Amino acid sequence: MKVIQIDKSELDAGLEKLESEFRLIGPVKEKDYHLFTTLTPGQKPDLEYINTRLSARSILYPQSEVMFEFSLDKNDENYAVLKEPQKDRQPTAVIGIRPCDADAYEVVRRNFDTPEYKDPYWLKNYESTTLVGLACSKPCPTCFCTSAVSGPFSEKNVDILLVDNGDHYLARLVTEKGEKLAESAGWNRPAENADETIEKMKLDAESKIKSEVATDNLASQALIDLYEAEAAIWEPEAFACINCGTCTHACPTCWCFDVQDETYGKAGFRMRNWDSCMYPLFTVHASGHNPRGTKIARIRQRFMHKLKYYVDKYEKGIQCTGCGRCVRLCPVNIDIRRICNKMNSYDPETCSCAVTS
Amino acid sequence: MTSYTDKIREISKRLLKEGKVDMVIGFTKGSVPMMNQPMFARNQNDVDGFAWDGNCGINLANYVTGRSEKIGIVAKGCDSRNLAVHIVENKIKRDQLYIIGVPCTGMVDRHKLTASVGGEIEAIEEDAAGKTVTISGNDFSETVDRVDVLQENCALCMHRNPVIYDELIAEEVPEQTEESVDRYEAVRKVEEMSPEEKWAYFDDLFSDCIRCYACRNACPLCYCPTCFVDESKPQWVGKSIDPSDIRIFHFLRAYHCAGRCTDCGACVRSCPMGINVRALTKKLEKDSLEYFGWEAGLTTEQRPPLDTYKPDDPEQFIK
Amino acid sequence: MKNLLEHMGIDPGRLHFSWISSAESTKFVEVAKNVTEEVMALQSKEKKYMKTKPKVA
Repeated sequence: MKVIQIDKSELDAGLEKLESEFRLIGPVKEKDYHLFTTLTPGQKPDLEYINTRLSARSILYPQSEVMFEFSLDKNDENYAVLKEPQKDRQPTAVIGIRPCDADAYEVVRRNFDTPEYKDPYWLKNYESTTLVGLACSKPCPTCFCTSAVSGPFSEKNVDILLVDNGDHYLARLVTEKGEKLAESAGWNRPAENADETIEKMKLDAESKIKSEVATDNLASQALIDLYEAEAAIWEPEAFACINCGTCTHACPTCWCFDVQDETYGKAGFRMRNWDSCMYPLFTVHASGHNPRGTKIARIRQRFMHKLKYYVDKYEKGIQCTGCGRCVRLCPVNIDIRRICNKMNSYDPETCSCAVTS
Repeated sequence: MTSYTDKIREISKRLLKEGKVDMVIGFTKGSVPMMNQPMFARNQNDVDGFAWDGNCGINLANYVTGRSEKIGIVAKGCDSRNLAVHIVENKIKRDQLYIIGVPCTGMVDRHKLTASVGGEIEAIEEDAAGKTVTISGNDFSETVDRVDVLQENCALCMHRNPVIYDELIAEEVPEQTEESVDRYEAVRKVEEMSPEEKWAYFDDLFSDCIRCYACRNACPLCYCPTCFVDESKPQWVGKSIDPSDIRIFHFLRAYHCAGRCTDCGACVRSCPMGINVRALTKKLEKDSLEYFGWEAGLTTEQRPPLDTYKPDDPEQFIK
Repeated sequence: MKNLLEHMGIDPGRLHFSWISSAESTKFVEVAKNVTEEVMALQSKEKKYMKTKPKVA
């Protein structure tokens, strides 16, 4: 794969060139934290950032999104017709996305892009987006990407991977999309011995990751054993949970949504909003019955989904890229690393977990 | 704080051993700094998990709602006040509880500390005298005065000692007074704004809200079987992140706490975005005090003012 | 409630409370008229409360 060198001083000029072709999205510091935002002309992404507080999920999959519009006016020619609203899907480039967030799109895609079903909203956004990743040289203490399905230098799902090398970036052009973007930006100076440098920095970054989860037994554990491990896993973990949506809303790999209609006068909107399996309402049936009416059932669902059902269904590892956001943000310290280790080390014979932290 | 931890373990062990309670609810050290976790112990072996330090800001009264066991519960000033509110509102019976009172010098503000360093905090350490806090992580280590990094509600707290309890784990700490702190300075600042400025202030305040409902769910007062935001027949409020719907949620959530809120700060502490939702409840606390001479959770004998009628209730707003 | 609404930036004068007996029809007419007039006067400069579509993606 081709690697080019971009001096930091020439980065801005390249981004300016891209502005005419792409809508640029990048990390920007607002108040005290970084978040992804559409860059206004001339606005620069802050590539010195560590990571955004919330994940990059909303770039392709907004928390609230109008799916259809309709009219309740009988005289309107669109009366009772669901029409997809016109949306701005111009080519977009995300500048400086971390590999954990980029790899999360691959995880989500397994759900939104299947032979039977294709989610048009997510897919259209995905296809029109070029991902310029930024390798992570200073992982955080709660990052565990290397033992989840990502890594600080993971190239699995970026089009370009930028590696910060002092006064310049080494940019590996991973896909054709990436090559095209580099061309548009006028970045074309080949880098020397770059593969070696990148490999060295990659190993260095990986060695700095202090936190890990064990996932080797998850696939071979019997589903029903884990499901029934209430005393060893679910009851103690569920106790503290307040059933808020912090973990799911911060997560880059959660994909559930809830469809709602809203009307204002005669104008109607069918929209979808992120939902959370932590909410009691998530599974309430029209009859009023709730198959997951207890906190234990909901906690179990979240972690079984990420760490067992997904593992079994797709055979691509866990549904987690190890970004650490839920660990950092959960107000009552429900730590997916601890739960993953418990599930991985659960022994149904003794109904206990060998690893409990 | 080690002595607090030891004392909590000792009392819990005794209560469980003597069979006085079925379970004890307290805190255990979190797997990440500043995030201690509520935990329960049902047998004596589990009590060694209990810990106490300046990161126990979640309100434990939230964990007894509707329970039927006999419960030993570790309670700071605010937790004890919320237990009193619970008792008045029939969410738990007084004789079901053995309250292990913890005189409190305030909880550390995790949002303030996180924002102050930019990177992730890997460890937090309080000195034995309770004067300083040291935070460290990748490439940094900083020591600050503890009083400067307290949660705002703790800095303004008038009831640091438990109001009701069965046993205190330590000597009472000195209380702050109206002379030593100005509780309502922030509220007055907003009161002095024009309607447009107020509107803009709250627009900005709620602009980060992701409607995860952590504020609502961390609150011991929010125990309705179905919250108004979750109702769909009728749907009182839209469920998207439209700013007006977000505002309606926060306004009504706060109003439901009028005269009941103890300003424990669990809402702000649990908010992943660090939004100061107390900006609304603090105003209600001020109004409760000014109009009804009422502070929530100081007694188990009296119902809150918006729950009762008195001939001298203020009514100048009625024309 | 009136206080909290006003604290959030809703103009004073948008929310009214009155005691009106079912026998006081004239008072009801008078109050309804006054309230409508007062709110209409505010509305001309403030349109921010009307939601005509969700402000989302």
